[in-house]
Amino acid sequence: MLETTEVAASARHRAPLRRPATGTLVRAVVIVALLLFALLALPQLLSLYYVDAMTEVAIYAVVSLGLGVLVGRVGLVSLGQIAVLAIGAWVAARLLFATTQPYPLVLLEAGLITMAIGTIIGLPALRLRGLYLALLTLMVAGALAIVLASTNFPNGGHGFLGYNGSLINIPPIRRPSIATNDPAYYRYAVVVAILMFLLVFVHIRTKPGRAWSAIRQSEPAALAAGINTTMYKLWAFALASFVTGVAGGVYAGAAHYLYSIDFPAQNSIILLAVVLMGGAYSLWGAVVAGLLSQLLPALLNNWGVSNDWLTILFGIGVVQVLTTAPRGLADQVPKDLARLGRLLLRLATKPTEATAEGTANTAEGTANTAESEAP
Amino acid sequence: MPSWQDFQPFLVTGLALGGVYALSGVGLVVLYQATGVVYLAFGAVGAMGALITWSMISDGIANWLCWLACLAFSGVVTLAYGITFGPLLAKRDPLVKATATLGLLLVLFGVMDLLWTTSGGESRAITLPTDNGGFSIAQIQVTWTQVIGLAVGVVIAAGTAAFLRYTKLGTAMRAMANDREITATLGVPVRRVEAAAWLGCGLLAGVAGLLLADMVALDATTLTFLVISSLAAALIARLRSIALTFAAAIVIGVVQNMLVPINAVSNYNDMTPFVLAAIALLVLSRRQVLSRAREDT
Repeated sequence: MLETTEVAASARHRAPLRRPATGTLVRAVVIVALLLFALLALPQLLSLYYVDAMTEVAIYAVVSLGLGVLVGRVGLVSLGQIAVLAIGAWVAARLLFATTQPYPLVLLEAGLITMAIGTIIGLPALRLRGLYLALLTLMVAGALAIVLASTNFPNGGHGFLGYNGSLINIPPIRRPSIATNDPAYYRYAVVVAILMFLLVFVHIRTKPGRAWSAIRQSEPAALAAGINTTMYKLWAFALASFVTGVAGGVYAGAAHYLYSIDFPAQNSIILLAVVLMGGAYSLWGAVVAGLLSQLLPALLNNWGVSNDWLTILFGIGVVQVLTTAPRGLADQVPKDLARLGRLLLRLATKPTEATAEGTANTAEGTANTAESEAP
Repeated sequence: MPSWQDFQPFLVTGLALGGVYALSGVGLVVLYQATGVVYLAFGAVGAMGALITWSMISDGIANWLCWLACLAFSGVVTLAYGITFGPLLAKRDPLVKATATLGLLLVLFGVMDLLWTTSGGESRAITLPTDNGGFSIAQIQVTWTQVIGLAVGVVIAAGTAAFLRYTKLGTAMRAMANDREITATLGVPVRRVEAAAWLGCGLLAGVAGLLLADMVALDATTLTFLVISSLAAALIARLRSIALTFAAAIVIGVVQNMLVPINAVSNYNDMTPFVLAAIALLVLSRRQVLSRAREDT
């Protein structure tokens, strides 16, 4: 223990002397360029239909991020994240109808209230592990869905529930004054998503992130190392609920009108599938999951292909990810592309040996996959 | 508060529904014991079987053949999944095994929505010939389907318990529940025993799908997610005891239906399985903080 502290301390002393690695620099430039493109160029290039779809992508990337924290960082699987999103949307809609607070404040409050609810539900659930926890979240989500179906979402009515059963003169849920039209609201959603990703990034890079990876690898070992496992697991629940609640607030403004059928139970399962497919261990995975779950359906709709094909694809994808590529697309695709690049390079340079090299490469590829299965 | 008279019909439907929950719950428990898999696609398989039966009946094929087709479909799909992915995931965490069955659920769900589109607003129903016949006890009308629901639950629960206790295959399954590796070392054909458990579970899914399609609704979403209610009973029994699963299923079915006539909660009666299972999970796990450490792989 003492030795590791010393090593860590000396590493900390040495760190400022080193220049940041070029890889990190390149990555930062790429991320900034992508974000600028998403914020400035995309709304100009796309039709309104796709701008709306991209708003959903930004929202669901944050929802996936929350689930990614639970699944990828701490190893807790939740099958009820769509219910949490619904809570966030409900709270935000209620606040937006009841008060004239600025939108960012409402988002913050929606996040905090959802966080409180998520933590209250999470506190007793922390006694459970793995499978039983996943099934408990499924049960709680099922119960919440029934409650929401009978309370309905606020639509400007009176009382605590704010529901106007007569369904005439229903005002839309307001948007921030700086982002009333769709492209502006898209930019707003992307900015919120960036802030949420930064929040999670900071958590992962600091003490909570280290505690979470210790808990994921072995909870008894983490406990023995003096980590307050209960607190950090609860913290993960709180963080995931917070970002999901904020996403729910953004969703409320994007949709204008909320209905309980927008949050069906199977979406929680699809969400888990796309998060696993995207890659629960990386932040990019959350973006991929958002694209998979929101942009692909919009594309297919546009082409007149049934979304059911997508459900089937996600089903196959989740089995494939679990059996062969546990780190998901965000990890697998760059690796595969690099492998393909190497293969093409060899094909170009040595056309005669190409086939032999090709087979060797495939064998290497299989070994690689087997290796990455280990965690 | 409604009078006892109002509750009586719901007691009957509750017992019948409880019987079907029991039969599903027993199927889930046996499969979990033998293979370590919580089969979340149980409802989806049964639902698709029931939809196939509906299509065949609408085509005018003899009824008994259609019912057999439902059982055959559920059995074959479940067995095929088990044979293909069971060994691949055998050494993984129970959570991973359960999540993989969600993949099968999504595939079946997509196929059902694609082939039996619900957008047209047409409602489908399977009516078993036993719906019309019946008798009355103390002025409560009881249909034979309801009797079958409860009876099948009782027979399956008792039969499975006896099967596990007295037959060679049942003993092998119980042995595998304790330790798969040691059972294999003793010369038990592990894969074959697992395949038997998958097939049995699939057949039960078919039976449950048919009965629920008649009692509740023939709708892909409803039937797919009714598995959660059956799972609730299995969870209350900690996925172990057949007797406890049966008792829990009957209680869930009866409570869920007895709440219907009470106006204050009639909208929330479907929450019964979730709430009971959540409470049971939390109460039963109070002393289990680190004892599952072996699952950390």
